[in-house]
Amino acid sequence: MESENGLICFTNCLLPLEDGSLVEQDLWIDERRGVILDAQRTFFLRRDRPARVIDLGGNILSPGYLDIQINGAYGFDFSVFDGDHEAYRNGLRTVAEKIVETGVTSLVPTIITQEKSLYPALLHLLRPYSSPNSATMLGWHAEGPFIQMAKRGAHASEFLLKADEGLATFEKIYGAENLVHQEDWLMACEGQHDSLGVRIITAAPEIAGVRPAMEEATKRGVVFSIGHSIASTDIATAAVMGGARLITHLFNAMPQLHHRDPCIIGLLGASPHLSFLPPTSPTSPVGPTFQSTGAALSRSDSSTSLAKRALQAHGDGGAKATSEAFDELVTPPQTPILAPIDTDLHLKKGETTRLSFERPFYELIVDGIHSHPNSVRLAYSAYPEGCILITDAMKILDPHLKDGVHEWRDGKRFVKEGDKLYLEGTDTLAGSAVTLDKCVRNFSRFTGCSLGEAIKCATYNPAKCLGIEHRKGTLRPGADADLIVLDRKGYVQSTWVGGKKVWKRQALRI
Amino acid sequence: MRLIIRDDAAAVGEYIGNYIAKRIVDFNPTAERPFVLGLPTGSSPILTYKHLIKLVKAGKLSFKHVVTFNMDEYVKLPEDHPESYHTFMFREFFSHIDVSPSQVNILNGNAKDLIGECNAYEAKIKSYGGIELFLGGIGEDGHIAFNEPGSSLQSRTRIKTLAYDTILANARFFGNDISKVPRMALTVGVQTVLDSREVVVVVTGQRKALALSQAIENGVNHLWTLSALQTHPWALIVADEDATAELKVKTVKYFKSIERVQEEVEEMHARLKDTPAEPDQVGSME
Repeated sequence: MESENGLICFTNCLLPLEDGSLVEQDLWIDERRGVILDAQRTFFLRRDRPARVIDLGGNILSPGYLDIQINGAYGFDFSVFDGDHEAYRNGLRTVAEKIVETGVTSLVPTIITQEKSLYPALLHLLRPYSSPNSATMLGWHAEGPFIQMAKRGAHASEFLLKADEGLATFEKIYGAENLVHQEDWLMACEGQHDSLGVRIITAAPEIAGVRPAMEEATKRGVVFSIGHSIASTDIATAAVMGGARLITHLFNAMPQLHHRDPCIIGLLGASPHLSFLPPTSPTSPVGPTFQSTGAALSRSDSSTSLAKRALQAHGDGGAKATSEAFDELVTPPQTPILAPIDTDLHLKKGETTRLSFERPFYELIVDGIHSHPNSVRLAYSAYPEGCILITDAMKILDPHLKDGVHEWRDGKRFVKEGDKLYLEGTDTLAGSAVTLDKCVRNFSRFTGCSLGEAIKCATYNPAKCLGIEHRKGTLRPGADADLIVLDRKGYVQSTWVGGKKVWKRQALRI
Repeated sequence: MRLIIRDDAAAVGEYIGNYIAKRIVDFNPTAERPFVLGLPTGSSPILTYKHLIKLVKAGKLSFKHVVTFNMDEYVKLPEDHPESYHTFMFREFFSHIDVSPSQVNILNGNAKDLIGECNAYEAKIKSYGGIELFLGGIGEDGHIAFNEPGSSLQSRTRIKTLAYDTILANARFFGNDISKVPRMALTVGVQTVLDSREVVVVVTGQRKALALSQAIENGVNHLWTLSALQTHPWALIVADEDATAELKVKTVKYFKSIERVQEEVEEMHARLKDTPAEPDQVGSME
């Protein structure tokens, strides 16, 4: 049923705002142009008002969710490409069409470490893509191959690489055409007239050549996410200063939080005064705080750093699957001291100094398995504005799929137990099978935050991280009318893409 | 003039809401013969608007054939500024009812020719045959629309400098920064309001008590512009108990007694209307 003048008013609903609040307010959209309207301007300037009014019965009308790390769904694995372009595109289409039932209206298909010759073609296939009635494919997220062996998780060790020639290596592997400047890349995306697209690379900053490469790639509009890494605090901090603005699945595939060297996780607590630090350029694969690690334990063993031990422990090849979270028993001897700063301290209670150092956004898989609920709340409390919910889901993401053993690839098989997913015969978590709408519900329960604040972590925060909040993840006038209707328990009732209803819950949930 | 007193602001809003709804329904407006309604902004009318919205949503009232004219708007405040009267009217009222945007009139404080804008506004009101009912509120200094103390009681739509009191009172809407409060507004004149066939004014809260007493217990005075209402043949003020604090007991008692009589008369009329106009029934007033 189309509105007579193409305008729709959603009424009797709660709108999640960008500050996490939920307000009772109408929303006007233009279903023909597929955008959200500035209602007041439409009324006074265009002298028009929606011919069709939809009463949402007190439900929540949220921007559609964004999933910026998802490996596949509904039987299709973004990382599996056998050279058949048509089959791959069909797979993408299937995911885009079906995933809307989970509230996701935009996603960034993620490919795990590949045999290097596959990248150029795969990333080319993953250019932004949108079609009516389905979720928007925003671009690509390349997780690997420049990642840490010791933290490779389910990635194939034989495919991991170093970037000895910096950006040149990146261009060689990912394909130079895939790493050009943002505008040129978008221009080259044929059929993508509305110039919206994102590229994310998860890499370990301690791997040779990664930081200089990412510094250049960041300038070209690629989002650098720190992950599958054992970077010390110094290296992680330097990576953020060099443009990294995201942490890949926080807590997973990285050193655990150590109070003397909190490493990547510690970035959530980084001081705003870090911007006063002289630019450091750690050259060793492990930071200075780790250099003397061994000394703390044994003065004669000063060359053995935590990271090196980790490398030794796991460097013996890829036959044995690696635990996501190995235990470090080493205690770094001292906390690095910030350079003394000789300025006045500010006097306003409850305010934080605003300086140029911005903590990175961080992804959380809130399936209750990848991170304990307490850890989720801890991270969120430390830095709520940076929190991004992801599924990191594998191809068996499908709310209709039963538990059991499922084929993956290369002869490996998954075991699915509820939302838990691991490689058969190991305890290695291999992504998840949780849906993003469930993550939002879990998150609200784990942290005690409001549904509006949980929604923000799956809408505004990811959009802001990617710099696309004018189009996705918000209810701003001019943004795409990608919307979901949620009941007050957080269950998706209907999904709208570009102003058109594309999915509706069939039976009443009991 | 009539004064209706209700227990609190919510009851005042409900009373006026029902009152206006009845006027519109009884008028039986059509596209050719719309009901022309004058509207105010400010905190006073919000509860009235809320009640009208409720009636519209319940299907008991429609603004389809209602033309509205707002009282005033700040000069040089962007139309979409959160404190503009365009924003207020849209947020509090127009977005929730079924009025057509083409039937809504608000002065344009950003017009190049402000005087021309004011004259055109008066002309437009005339083109609709004048305003049927003007709803208003008052300021603490007794101003109606932006007709501050000292305004001519025969004034028409024009540019008006805001009184210092009003600027101070409005500063809370502009981050408590007096320098950000607009100094000028376009407003309908006292005479524009008096020209409408009926005037209904909301007066609620103790802070408006002095203004109410000055407007109705003393003579017509340009320092309390609402007092001009005393010369209007069909004016109604609806106040809550708090707003009567400065009135004489005698005044309150008098108006309360009129209300009872009025109710009786209205009941009688209603019965007359319901009864088929047969000659032998006219005299039946039981």
